[in-house]
Amino acid sequence: MTHDATSYDRSFGGLVRDKTQSNIPVKSAYGPADLEGFDYERDAGNPGTPPFTRGIYPEMYRGSLWLKSFIVCYATPEETNRAFKKYIAAGQTGLRVLTDTSTLSGVDPDHPLALYDIMCNGNPTFALTEYETMLDGIALEDIDFESANSTPSGSFFTYVFLVALMEQRKADISRLRGTNINDPVHAFIVYGTPEFSPDLARRVNLDLIEFGIRHTPKWHPCTPCGYDMRDAGITSPQEMAFVIANALQYYGDAVAERGVRFDEFRPMVFSMSSESDFFETVAKFRATRRLWARMARERLGATSPRSMACRIGIRTAGNSIYPQKPLNNTARITLQVLAAVLGGVQSIDPSGIDETFGLPSEESRIFELDLQHIIAHESNVPLTADPLGGSYYVEWLTTRLETAAAALLEEIDRLGGMWKCLESGWLRQQFDRATTEIQGEINERQRLIVGANAFQGPDGAISRAIVDGAYKVPSDEKRFGAIERVRQLRQTRDGAAVRRRLGDLAAAVREGRNTVRSTIEAAKVYATVGEMVGTIRMAHGLPFDPYARISAPQFLQVGT
Amino acid sequence: MTESVAKIRVLIGKVGFDPHDRGILILSRGFRNAGMEVIFLGKFRTAEEVVSAAIQENVDVIALSDHCGVMRLIARDVTEQLERQGAGDICVVAGGIIPEEDKPALEAMGVTGNYGMGTPIEEIVRHIVERVNSRAKA
Repeated sequence: MTHDATSYDRSFGGLVRDKTQSNIPVKSAYGPADLEGFDYERDAGNPGTPPFTRGIYPEMYRGSLWLKSFIVCYATPEETNRAFKKYIAAGQTGLRVLTDTSTLSGVDPDHPLALYDIMCNGNPTFALTEYETMLDGIALEDIDFESANSTPSGSFFTYVFLVALMEQRKADISRLRGTNINDPVHAFIVYGTPEFSPDLARRVNLDLIEFGIRHTPKWHPCTPCGYDMRDAGITSPQEMAFVIANALQYYGDAVAERGVRFDEFRPMVFSMSSESDFFETVAKFRATRRLWARMARERLGATSPRSMACRIGIRTAGNSIYPQKPLNNTARITLQVLAAVLGGVQSIDPSGIDETFGLPSEESRIFELDLQHIIAHESNVPLTADPLGGSYYVEWLTTRLETAAAALLEEIDRLGGMWKCLESGWLRQQFDRATTEIQGEINERQRLIVGANAFQGPDGAISRAIVDGAYKVPSDEKRFGAIERVRQLRQTRDGAAVRRRLGDLAAAVREGRNTVRSTIEAAKVYATVGEMVGTIRMAHGLPFDPYARISAPQFLQVGT
Repeated sequence: MTESVAKIRVLIGKVGFDPHDRGILILSRGFRNAGMEVIFLGKFRTAEEVVSAAIQENVDVIALSDHCGVMRLIARDVTEQLERQGAGDICVVAGGIIPEEDKPALEAMGVTGNYGMGTPIEEIVRHIVERVNSRAKA
């Protein structure tokens, strides 16, 4: 890969690959013979009609543009609140909430392991107080909230706090809108936090689905997350198969065990990754819609076209963003967003160009929005639905990806579903094999990453400014303020009410009732995340602290 | 190079709640392929646990990873524990998302490498070999 600038070499920078990112071999040209047996009505269909290959709405972006979304969560609830208001004014249409790494792990800021990660990646929403501040002055009805909190407890408490805050403000909870990841299998694989054991996580997952459909019908209670799994290093067919298999697992269980009908749900939402491999990414979204339409009908008994349609929300591939020559990240993110739009997705969350250095700066956030405005209004790409439909290559690749994902789905079925695949270690092996193969190709320069393993060069002034502009972790003083806040809250709240509500929650767990209502009531009297997680665990026969470093507070040791 | 690599024992792990473990999984494999002995401690560990395990396993190197931008805190606690437990001869290297402005302080603590994503594994291996060899001479 070394290049002498004075030499003349026409082959310099020649292609090193003849396969897609997921190692699907590609020919140098495609034609009608590659689409033999392709039936337009059956395999593509007009936009808005099953199998929704070409998109889920007849008008697509002419009717409404995709949701422009990104995580705007800074270290404190006050900063986050200011950022929410600012970005709403700049055209953001969905609020994506992310708690910090410690709270996401199911503990309070004063947990001994939390010391390092308080306020990292988000704000520590350890109690309802933090939601009150974070969402101060923001209407809660009819706004789209997207919970980016992926762990089992993270998904659970985002919903609990949102509903608790709405009820506290006398808002109508049936007007809560948005999505909750609530995908415990993916969380065990990607995050591996132990706060809820798999049986407990399975139960909480179904509690959220059941409570959600009965009380907040505009809320998507479970939107399986392919994105995190993909970013951990798997292929497109794996991402498609695992995200669909997880949906079949959770919704299949909800139908079988909680007496709900699949047609009652809002249309499925999948969170997926938009990758640098342009056509594979476009084809992946098309193939996912087609495969899901069939699975919803065959496996979950969907009867209406509406419940066979899946919405796709994407995040651009975080692992494609590199610290070497970071200006190049603008090109990567632009291609990934364009692929998502050509793939007909419903929500886009681009990476920040400075994301490998810290949380994106405000300017980087505004660039993410402007990039979407440019695609929407200057490129004219969204004027017509599925403009790549009918391309020999794209249709061939769509079918190729669908076939590969369907084969994996069959294997998962044979193995007894995703919970079983997690338990047996099969899923872990799938990840290990794929990441090893991909990493091997990177090491061997069979996958070129500009600036990292090819075309290296020094950073210029623009790149250095990108590094310097990224939002940094706040000072220790500020961070450890969260420890002070949680301690103060415990002293000033109504302790008797907390004890009573946590007692009710423990009873609900022990008696096999849905845990969501009693958790909401405990949250309203300011029980903390760590206490609620611990209460649920103890009532389930587990020790208070998932990380085995602290014991239960005195008041929880009596009477539970 | 292979000869010197073969003797090196590396403990790799993460302190705190940062869940991003793709890096340590890839590096464990890379280090093993390069001929090192790897003790994989995984994530959700305290600094004390990392140091105790390193001493028990008699390692030459502790490799720390963090993607939350707080390596300076992790490194501070790990190096303090090493001193306290009389194991200051164990080398500490780091990687992940490490803010530029923290790098001088990390170097001053003796925590080196401080690599970002996309760094070729052979470069990291070479660095570890050099660190261990220069320690042996010292």
